[in-house]
Amino acid sequence: MRWLSPLEPNSRHQGVRNDRFDGVGDWLLETSGFREWRGGEGGADKAILFCSGDPGVGKTYLW
Amino acid sequence: MIDKLCDDAKREDIAVACLYYDFLAQQEQTITNVMGAILKQLVSRGGIPKEVREAFQEGKGEVGGRGPRLEDLVRMLRISIASLPRVFICIDALDECLPKLLPEVLKSLRDIVWESPGARVFLTGRPYVTEDIKKYFPKAAMTPINPKPDDIKNYLDMRLERDAEPQAMNSGLRADVVRIILGRISDT
Repeated sequence: MRWLSPLEPNSRHQGVRNDRFDGVGDWLLETSGFREWRGGEGGADKAILFCSGDPGVGKTYLW
Repeated sequence: MIDKLCDDAKREDIAVACLYYDFLAQQEQTITNVMGAILKQLVSRGGIPKEVREAFQEGKGEVGGRGPRLEDLVRMLRISIASLPRVFICIDALDECLPKLLPEVLKSLRDIVWESPGARVFLTGRPYVTEDIKKYFPKAAMTPINPKPDDIKNYLDMRLERDAEPQAMNSGLRADVVRIILGRISDT
């Protein structure tokens, strides 16, 4: 597996999870944009959901 | 959100892979390392597919041992994704990817997604990468992220609750702290 990539993104995710406050970002899960994207209607055309914001607004903590 | 998707993944036959771009890790976050890291997470669920084994044996046989090639990784990703009804690929901070690599990252994602109806890709980044994303995915859904006052108030309450010097705090001061910080946020 290490041959595929030396990167270990799971350990970074653990760090985010530990720092994150419960419930932060839950609003996103309720938006129609998120639901449509997650549900998978629209096929490959609708496969991408991009959340944009300036530095420090909390994009990473949506995770 | 990843945790929410992962909870669902335990119940359904879906897989979730994540990647966090980081300015400080640009040297090692090459496109092959990034695609390899995504593939690694997807295959870790169901054992290593035959195609990945074969590519590894081939690479090992070459002088000095060779890492996986991008075209092989894209092919292996398509094969792995096709074996699952639903796959979520989440990539954070696209703006922290080395700018000269970004077009190729997006092109590779497009090559994977077009062949994979079960793939969903979640991306975050600063607003200026929107144009790059639109070039490759004209129909991508866009959601702007703003700090939510409720999220911030909950966080402040938690931090004030855990204050190391509670005797220095009183209800008036506490209310002021919350009011002033929330006021600053709504000004921006």
